[in-house]
Amino acid sequence: MPLLKKMLAQLGVEDERVRLDWVSASEGDRFASIVNEMTAQIKALGPFHRNNGG
Amino acid sequence: MTKLKLALYWASSCGGCEIAVLDTNEKILDVVAIADIVLWPVAVDFKYHHIEAMPDSAIDVCLFNGAIRSSEHEKVAKLLRAKSKVMAAFGSCACFGGIPSLGNLTNRAEIFHTVYEEAPSNENPSRTVPKTATTVDGHHLELPETYDTVMTLEQVVPVEYFIPGCPPTVDLILKVVSALANNSLPPPGTVIASDKSLCEECYRKKEDKKITRVWRPHQIVPDPEKCLLEQGVICCGPATRGGCGALCIKANMPCEGCFGPPAGVLDQGAKLVSAIASIYQASGEEDVSRMLDEIVDPVGRFYRFGLAHSLLRRKRMTPPGTLSAAKQPLAEVTAR
Repeated sequence: MPLLKKMLAQLGVEDERVRLDWVSASEGDRFASIVNEMTAQIKALGPFHRNNGG
Repeated sequence: MTKLKLALYWASSCGGCEIAVLDTNEKILDVVAIADIVLWPVAVDFKYHHIEAMPDSAIDVCLFNGAIRSSEHEKVAKLLRAKSKVMAAFGSCACFGGIPSLGNLTNRAEIFHTVYEEAPSNENPSRTVPKTATTVDGHHLELPETYDTVMTLEQVVPVEYFIPGCPPTVDLILKVVSALANNSLPPPGTVIASDKSLCEECYRKKEDKKITRVWRPHQIVPDPEKCLLEQGVICCGPATRGGCGALCIKANMPCEGCFGPPAGVLDQGAKLVSAIASIYQASGEEDVSRMLDEIVDPVGRFYRFGLAHSLLRRKRMTPPGTLSAAKQPLAEVTAR
């Protein structure tokens, strides 16, 4: 994961767009809160536009 | 038998693909026996207007090497596409963008700045950079436009065949020539190489894929019998198409990935990250940060020959200071 993030940073992809977490099947609340956090974070970043470099 | 009409062209390339054609030695005479060359800028004196004067589909096969990086490359690619029955991307640059597509980590403005203004060998006080048009002593001069983004041939025109390699090996070239001579070309869309990964044709002993550090090729002399990855040398074999005959491996050098991803692999670099991640033995933060230091340039390593062909295709350029948009006030972010 850190290697992927290092590579994505070189390609101009924000760190906040990628996240890896482990949640057990018994941790329903934690699962929901992580999904909500991630969704809010991505909404704040806005859509990912692959620009043409200009 | 009427002779075939053959065109060879170079766009953004180093000329190595042309040398590869000449490396067929006396077999090049077989090519001339079956085909008339109608365009080959490196060796034969035909001009673009000769091609423009031909009816559409007059050329049987066009072997196009080099990536698309300027308006001239794009214009000639479209011209040759219209005039050719079969268009083949010849070499890694035409197939995947090749080394030139590492230029997609930056853009034209930055490249011009480095090359024409910053380079220590330059004396350029007036800060002249190439323009597409200028007038000198009343004469109007034009230059092709350099693009921000390097593209593969297929991103510009439809392509029937892909002949990968930096450069394609003589064996592959002769395979293409004999298919042309016998009129036995494979179905369109075929990559003329193996469908499997290089690892499947590699002769080295593979035992236990676990590494505790990564060596760059100049830091170690690897055992010539053992799998290079198992010795900690990043070898692109697991995510690279075979068919080259493992030439680099035989010279005790790791695969650099020039044949592009094998069938079924969408993104060569992502596949390689996954391969390295699954064999690197890290038991804590310290090991992970050491691994990050050892792999100095992930994009340059994992996408060396194919950044233009990757899912992202290029670096996403953002104005300085805005790389991490989440750190800006929310209002600004939603306004973008």
